[in-house]
Amino acid sequence: MKKTVFASMITVSALAFAGCGSDDTASTGGEGGSFEPSQTIEMVAPAGSGGGWDTTAREVARVFGETGIIDENMTVINREGGGGAIGWAYVHGKEGDPHSMFVASPPLMFVPLNGQSEYGHEDFTPIANMIADYGAFAVREDSEFEDLNDLFDQMKDDPQSITVIGTSAPGSMDHMQFVRIAKAAGVDPTQIKYVSDQEGGALTAVLNGSVDVFSTGVGETIEQVRAGNIKVLGVTAEERMEGEVLSDFPTAIEQGIDESFVNWRGFFGPPNMDQAAVDYYEAKFQELSESDEFAEVRKKYGWNEMYMNSEEYSEFLETEKEEIATLLEEIGLGQ
Amino acid sequence: MDAFQGLLTGFQVALSLEGILFVLIGVIVGTLIGMMPGLGPISAIAIMIPITYGMDPAPALVMMAGVYYGAVFGGSTSSILLNAPGISGTVATSFDGYPMAQNGQAGKALAIAAIASFVGGTVSVVLLMLLAPALSSVAISFGPPAYFALMFMGLTAISSLSEGSTIKAMIAAVAGFMVVTIGIDPQTGTQRFTFGNVNLFDGFDFLIIALGLFAVAEVCILVLNRKNRSLSDDQKLGSLRLSKQDLKEMSGPVTRQSFVGFMLGVLPGAGATIASFISYIFEKRIAKNPEEFGKGSIKGIAAPESSNNAATSGAFVPLLSLGIPGSGTTAVMLGAFLVLGVQPGPLLMSDRPEIFWGIIASMYLGNIFLLILNLPLIPYLAKILSIPRPLLISLVIMFSLIGVYSISFNVFDLYMLLVFGALGFAMRIFSFPAPPFILAFILGGMMEQAFRQSMTISNGSLSIFVDTPLPLSLLLISLLSLVIPAFLKWRGNRLAAKQR
Repeated sequence: MKKTVFASMITVSALAFAGCGSDDTASTGGEGGSFEPSQTIEMVAPAGSGGGWDTTAREVARVFGETGIIDENMTVINREGGGGAIGWAYVHGKEGDPHSMFVASPPLMFVPLNGQSEYGHEDFTPIANMIADYGAFAVREDSEFEDLNDLFDQMKDDPQSITVIGTSAPGSMDHMQFVRIAKAAGVDPTQIKYVSDQEGGALTAVLNGSVDVFSTGVGETIEQVRAGNIKVLGVTAEERMEGEVLSDFPTAIEQGIDESFVNWRGFFGPPNMDQAAVDYYEAKFQELSESDEFAEVRKKYGWNEMYMNSEEYSEFLETEKEEIATLLEEIGLGQ
Repeated sequence: MDAFQGLLTGFQVALSLEGILFVLIGVIVGTLIGMMPGLGPISAIAIMIPITYGMDPAPALVMMAGVYYGAVFGGSTSSILLNAPGISGTVATSFDGYPMAQNGQAGKALAIAAIASFVGGTVSVVLLMLLAPALSSVAISFGPPAYFALMFMGLTAISSLSEGSTIKAMIAAVAGFMVVTIGIDPQTGTQRFTFGNVNLFDGFDFLIIALGLFAVAEVCILVLNRKNRSLSDDQKLGSLRLSKQDLKEMSGPVTRQSFVGFMLGVLPGAGATIASFISYIFEKRIAKNPEEFGKGSIKGIAAPESSNNAATSGAFVPLLSLGIPGSGTTAVMLGAFLVLGVQPGPLLMSDRPEIFWGIIASMYLGNIFLLILNLPLIPYLAKILSIPRPLLISLVIMFSLIGVYSISFNVFDLYMLLVFGALGFAMRIFSFPAPPFILAFILGGMMEQAFRQSMTISNGSLSIFVDTPLPLSLLLISLLSLVIPAFLKWRGNRLAAKQR
């Protein structure tokens, strides 16, 4: 608790002395040997407060501090803008700094593939993946569609009749998770009508019938499903999820569509982070992932456990990127 | 549980020692943050999220809500005194508040703002309490076509925001439209006018424009007008007292705009800023003496102030009853809810009645605290005007810079603040009005997106705007509001000609 209060004091004073700039002198850890952080670790959330990246970064920093898995203080700072690009450029400038890292998820792939960021995941040092989240496709409760196949059959007959809405821009997560599953079901991916609403009106537009399908994260649907406003036709997870409402959501795979999409969330360091530092953090993240305290956090937000170490993470990202790039090219969005 | 019983539960939370304490902390922090130009409720709530870790959710959220409406309450102070909007919802307040303060009636302007805020806040809490469940259906009744029509209605007001040349007002508005297109286009992901600069990908935050065009431009004007540098002390404050006549004059706008503001607050995406502008224009349109607006009209302060505070409570309707954040600030609030383990949404009222009703009940209390806190402070606040000019100017610039930096912690935005300051200064020199620019910037983005979403949904058919009654009626109202004044003017001219 004390540490988080202290961290927030830093944020406050950072705000007050806004003009002074920051002087982060990168101190390099031990060469080759073992590494121990020797100063406050800066955790960058490349987005504003309150969103998914920010929450993940803050919860991770809090649990690291409370459990004492990492003794050194961790401060979360927000670098908002360009869908993450500003924060990535910021971390990219800290080459080799072993006291700096950032939280990331698939937009780290989508945004550069859409030509909106100079830097992509391959420009950074993957440390560890921590959690998995999945996409959900929802329609209004009174919709004629009962499962994904109903929806996709209609889209095969008359693609103009169905509009999909999501929060992210075309070519990014909400759009591409739908395209990926729909394509696997035999829908022509170039014919999918997608609109983006970044002002918080996406759910509204589904509820009032302006659009047909809401492509979003599983977590965003739970309350509305419990209240009987919408129904989830399918989720992008490989297997049924656990949890009160979650376990009722059928996966696309169960419905005979052999495709899935995982919204991974993990941590990356600046380019050329020292191997000793990577080894150190990787082990600490594993310890965190296995702790009871972090299990509580996962439960609170409905996240799934998905630990990957640095090496596994790199391989996973390579495969993902290839698939997404092919798909983007096919619908004419790739750069 | 019916509303009355719910409210009793709520007051049990709000009137406990803990409840009172946290409401008080919330509104004090909120007012202070709101008063500083540029620092708004978003940064305040964001800072408080880590502080509330491990707290009991009800008092924590009561405090956060207090910060939010406290900031809107206090935001008018710097708009009135310095022409530097405290938060984006109080830009419209500066149109008449600043001229009134310059006329030596700063105290009166602040008192009007405080009372209008109090009434707006209180009326809207009553509405929130009575109508929250029912209104959630209104909040979702607006699809993209209706949003387009609503924004269009707001835009028809550009002509009434202009002093003097309508052509210059239109030019300013077009410039506002052009600036809002900068950034990544949400519908296609294409970059527009970014020159590949990553700092421009998200476009400009509204506050950069508002502080540039108003605060920085004003400072430049102050530096130029070296004369009249010293008003005497009593001239600066003026009397705090509002005459019966004043109260009577503001009663109409305050009552009407409390309702208008609340309804606009309920719509996701509209929010306090748009509400304050629409209310200001609304009152100017129906006023018998519209020429007084912009020169220190009582109505011109009362309307946006009651409206923006009412919209703040209105914004809690979609947040609490649907779990939909309607604005940047409520999005951060939603984050705060989740961090505390509370999921706002259709089931909040039955699952966690102490939180749902506790927040509502605390808002009654909070508004009373705000009035009690703010009224006696007015003479001290107005002393700001007695600060020597050079110091005052530096303070305004410093706070504007801090405010802009705190939005995104990006130095690039500071340069942009200066660019818009220079633009605002040039506009003042060549008498181009800034309000149409601001209005076009606020409404333009949403209007364009709503239009294009509608076009995609309808496969390119314009009939989507007239097929359903809601957008159709909004478009008809906008048409009438354009045609009727022109017709009246034409008839007036003809009558005058006949008499001659």
